[in-house]
Amino acid sequence: MNSSEAREVLLLYRPGTAKLADPQMVEALELARQDPELGRWFEQHCAFQKAMRAKFQQIEVPAHLKASLLIRGTVAPEILPPQPWWRSPIWLSAAAVVLLLIGLTGVWLKPRVPDRFANYQARMVSQALREYRMDLVTNDMHQIRQFMASRGAPDDYHVPQGLEHLQLTGGGLLSWRSNPVAMVCFDRGDKQMLFLFVLKRSALKDPPPEAPQVSKVSQMVTVSWTHGDNTYVLAGPEEAGFVQKYL
Amino acid sequence: MAARTSYSEDGQRGKPDFQSLVDLHYGPLYRFAMSLTRTENDACDLVQQTFLTWATKGHQLQDPAKVKSWLYTTLHRAFLESRRRFTRFPHLEISEAEAELPSVEPDLVSHLDAQDVVQLLGQVDEQFQAAVALFYLEDYSYNEIAGILEIPLGTVKSRIARGLAQLKVLVLRKPASPSKEKGGAA
Repeated sequence: MNSSEAREVLLLYRPGTAKLADPQMVEALELARQDPELGRWFEQHCAFQKAMRAKFQQIEVPAHLKASLLIRGTVAPEILPPQPWWRSPIWLSAAAVVLLLIGLTGVWLKPRVPDRFANYQARMVSQALREYRMDLVTNDMHQIRQFMASRGAPDDYHVPQGLEHLQLTGGGLLSWRSNPVAMVCFDRGDKQMLFLFVLKRSALKDPPPEAPQVSKVSQMVTVSWTHGDNTYVLAGPEEAGFVQKYL
Repeated sequence: MAARTSYSEDGQRGKPDFQSLVDLHYGPLYRFAMSLTRTENDACDLVQQTFLTWATKGHQLQDPAKVKSWLYTTLHRAFLESRRRFTRFPHLEISEAEAELPSVEPDLVSHLDAQDVVQLLGQVDEQFQAAVALFYLEDYSYNEIAGILEIPLGTVKSRIARGLAQLKVLVLRKPASPSKEKGGAA
């Protein structure tokens, strides 16, 4: 093995992790000990590797990623037991096609679904469960209001007292039937998130009353109310005393 | 640095529970995804997709000890799938210099930050990038990297060696930004 060949072998040496079971590596290391020039190159190579490794470890992970993963994880399907024949993918696909055809027929024959609050509420909960992403990660409510204002979303929303005790984590801009919706996210403290959705009441034909209405949508508890020009939906994981705690 | 390897189990066939899995692996997986995609949103999407795949198909994995490499393989597959929809990013022609295996002063690396390193890796031949990222991010053996990337051992070594050589050339070529030069070592 000459010096050039040794460099090629030593290129794959990792300081602190390399196993010396490879006879070529052993030979190349020996050569680096004997050849001063190769030795210098190898020393610099190891320092380079160490520095690069440290830089890669410094890649910052976004603060919102973990919460987002955990929220999605709680709604993802769990380990499934063996299924009966009628739940096999083929039969489910066939059933889905039939339902789709029935659904399409319904759409063709009936007038469009009006802008009902129930639709809005279900869509927002669905966003929180499946497609939720914060546009702004911050614990500064002023920043979120500015962000919402710059995008035409409600920025004059009132935050209930109960939520002010929670950690603000950020906000996102959503849309419902072309109307901007402000989503404000709070960390409940046990890796669970609460979402406050704010929409202009004029976007709804049947906004909820001023007195908070509690309901369960999918796997979330929601409290909805209207105040001033805005309609609010607060959604979060089921919890005893939800209203008393957060409103 | 000893990695945490224990999981809380959900009582079903000794599989790790979802939250333990996220706690342990979301950070390293994100760094790997970021090394491949170089944009935060794409990297987050890849990690999301990986854990979603685990939630739906993870029960098929028989050996809990292989969860970590399963996650990496899944993320890499998702990345390859997403790449098929995009045009290849042009990279620098450095194959001639690659043969020289240059010596790089470690000081040159100290001027870089994590974002610079990710951008430089993005200029390495695309087929070498994943192997080089795993080489730097994890203590995986070459055999394990081969398993994750689903390629032969010899190919892994060749890709890492050539990728490292290209990376060294790119570090040498990268001009230090004035602000970093003035700031010195932090």
